[in-house]
Amino acid sequence: MNIYDIIFYLFAGITIISGFLVVSVKNIVHAAFYLLFTLFGIAGLYVLLGADFIAIVQIMVYVGGILILILFGVMLTNKIVDVEIKSESFQVIPAIIFIGILMGGLVFLMVTTNWENNELIIPLTTTKILGNIILTDYILIFELLGILLLIALIGAATIARKDKV
Amino acid sequence: MAQVGLNHFLIVSALLFSFGLFAVVTRKNAVMVLMGIELILNASNINFIAFSKFGNFAIDGQVIALFVIVLAAAEAAIALAIVLNIYKVFSNVNVDEIDNLKE
Amino acid sequence: MELVNIFEGLTYLKPEITLGIGLLLIVLLDLFINKNKNVLHFISLAIILITGYFVLEQSDVSKAFLPISTQTDRNFGMLTLDAFGIYFKILVLLGSILLVFFSITSAEVKSVNNRLGEYYALILGMLLGMMLMISASDLIMVYLSIELVSLSSYVLAGFTKLRSRSSEAALKYLLYGGTASGIMLFGISLLFGITGNTNLYEIHKVLISAQVNSLTFSTAIVMIFTGMAYKISAAPFHFWTPDVYEGAPISITAYLSVASKAAGFALLIRFVKTVFVMFSEQNGDWNLIPIFDWQTFIIVISILTMTLGNFTALWQNNLKRLLAYSSIAHAGYLLLGLTVLSDKGILAILIYFTFYLIMNLGAFYIVMLIADKTGTEDITKLKGLGHSSPFLGTALTIFLISLVGLPPTAGFIGKFYIFVSLLDSKMILVAVIALLNTVVSLYYYIKVLKYIYLVKGDKIETIPINYSNYIVIITLLIPTILFGIYFTPIVNLANKCVLLLNNL
Repeated sequence: MNIYDIIFYLFAGITIISGFLVVSVKNIVHAAFYLLFTLFGIAGLYVLLGADFIAIVQIMVYVGGILILILFGVMLTNKIVDVEIKSESFQVIPAIIFIGILMGGLVFLMVTTNWENNELIIPLTTTKILGNIILTDYILIFELLGILLLIALIGAATIARKDKV
Repeated sequence: MAQVGLNHFLIVSALLFSFGLFAVVTRKNAVMVLMGIELILNASNINFIAFSKFGNFAIDGQVIALFVIVLAAAEAAIALAIVLNIYKVFSNVNVDEIDNLKE
Repeated sequence: MELVNIFEGLTYLKPEITLGIGLLLIVLLDLFINKNKNVLHFISLAIILITGYFVLEQSDVSKAFLPISTQTDRNFGMLTLDAFGIYFKILVLLGSILLVFFSITSAEVKSVNNRLGEYYALILGMLLGMMLMISASDLIMVYLSIELVSLSSYVLAGFTKLRSRSSEAALKYLLYGGTASGIMLFGISLLFGITGNTNLYEIHKVLISAQVNSLTFSTAIVMIFTGMAYKISAAPFHFWTPDVYEGAPISITAYLSVASKAAGFALLIRFVKTVFVMFSEQNGDWNLIPIFDWQTFIIVISILTMTLGNFTALWQNNLKRLLAYSSIAHAGYLLLGLTVLSDKGILAILIYFTFYLIMNLGAFYIVMLIADKTGTEDITKLKGLGHSSPFLGTALTIFLISLVGLPPTAGFIGKFYIFVSLLDSKMILVAVIALLNTVVSLYYYIKVLKYIYLVKGDKIETIPINYSNYIVIITLLIPTILFGIYFTPIVNLANKCVLLLNNL
């Protein structure tokens, strides 16, 4: 077991355990904080996979942006004064069975499938390559995302702002 | 334990995907359902990046992951706006109680 | 890919660029127009018409199959421009033009008149997403364009945000939609792992040449299908449809029921056709790569969809909800066209969808006029409509008869083509089930007619209609009847588009 493996198990452990806690704890604020660890662990996995830029983006956008949004959502939609920050669940038993089967099936597929396995030598830093490829091969998608963000901005603003009656 | 390879990463992603789906199916709170969706998106991203490295599929997987992250941010923004609006109208965000639309 | 290619590609993107600029224009103009927001209706109409002009302009491009950026060896490009796509784009644009007329009249849209700029910006964004969805030939493009459509439609469904049911529609749409597209993304990632590519043409090449693990592959395909089935509201991913259709503003409901469904079908057909069809035989039958049993899969889904849609519709008393279930059932009929896996089936889908668009929008338009006056879409509000407003009563009757599929209306011709394509491929049993479904659907449409003509209202309310309402209804009414008798032009047009789909 070399150092790479140890780091992998560390991050994978953080990701899976906190991921499990996200969906199993009752308190929704706790769930949001466990999500933080999950996202952080995933960023670690990205580094191990040679995706340094994506790892940084993951931390900046997910941890710095989306998670904050979710926390705002939690805080604003629950009366903090009450202790009612719990989130109940329903149909738990059938769901556990169904998801259990699904999980087993997926893991089985992941392990048994004969994936193409011939490792790519990823350069130390990927930022330049990513920049190149985004502005050439994926230029159309890049532009589409621009529109999409604008739409999201307009949409979120129009839904959330107060109406002058 | 074997040398860490593609399968290890894929198992992590399969587990995360299942957790995400579990949250979506069982949780009443809309914000929790959104967290479940975020987990699903992240599981897909791990797949993309892992395949990109181990399958020798150039760097495309990383680009796709980047796009998905941007998209997730946009979706979260809209989602939270809708949830806040729901809270304003119904004073709660539990999916099973917001159920006026029925035959 | 060289910069030159990007500029060359731009000439093929004129409609999309127009929409993008139009969207920005609307956002900017909204800031300056404070008093008379109604101008925005006409500006949006103009933008849609210009886009339509550019789309039509492309239809005589002989190199219709040019995928943008063919230059690199591994990249077929994100979009494919072909006659099939143009046919669907025209349908979507027609739906959008009618949507503008819906919005001009709709009381719900009037109540949010001060946010009209945002309304149209979102609609143009959604339209752009649908245009890209129709011509997308790369799974990442597919995913992102679906998301663009979804994000705009979540907000539009909840646009009259202070009404509780509209907000509820938005939330439900968001939660179901987010999950479905998340599952789809996971499927795409698996497919990426199997084939090393996200481009449909490249995946096709890989499937032909190499052996792939069929179980994993099927899982990926089912997951990807989830995202598409959600867009066309096929069972078992149709749960959102009735709630969202009932809760959303009615103009948006009508739009969702035709336009985003059209885009979903275009996407599904292109996906199956591009990835799985090895070659088409002379008579138009497809030879599929034997790795996924599309036929059985779609048969099950389509029978489930139409049966659930039709039987649940029997108990509905809200007109919008009834039309929602009816639209689920129609998605089932449309899927039947795909089960035969031949060009004839696709031809039938194109014809059926054209007629469905016209008659469904017609029915929604009249329901909207009634709901604006009475404040609810309850079926009892139709009492005595045939006597108080004979014109509306007759028009609604014709649209409903067409939705059932009785002659001499356009709906009959659409169903007729679907059934002929089924019988051609010897799928008698499926055809019989579909026929029985049609009989069931007769019941709930007749129930509406009963209220219009037979049940007398306590006090007769006349629905006020002005000239523009008359014009919209008549423009929808004429094709509904005319195409029931003289449908050759549509068939010829659709035929030409289907033939062109084969040339790659």
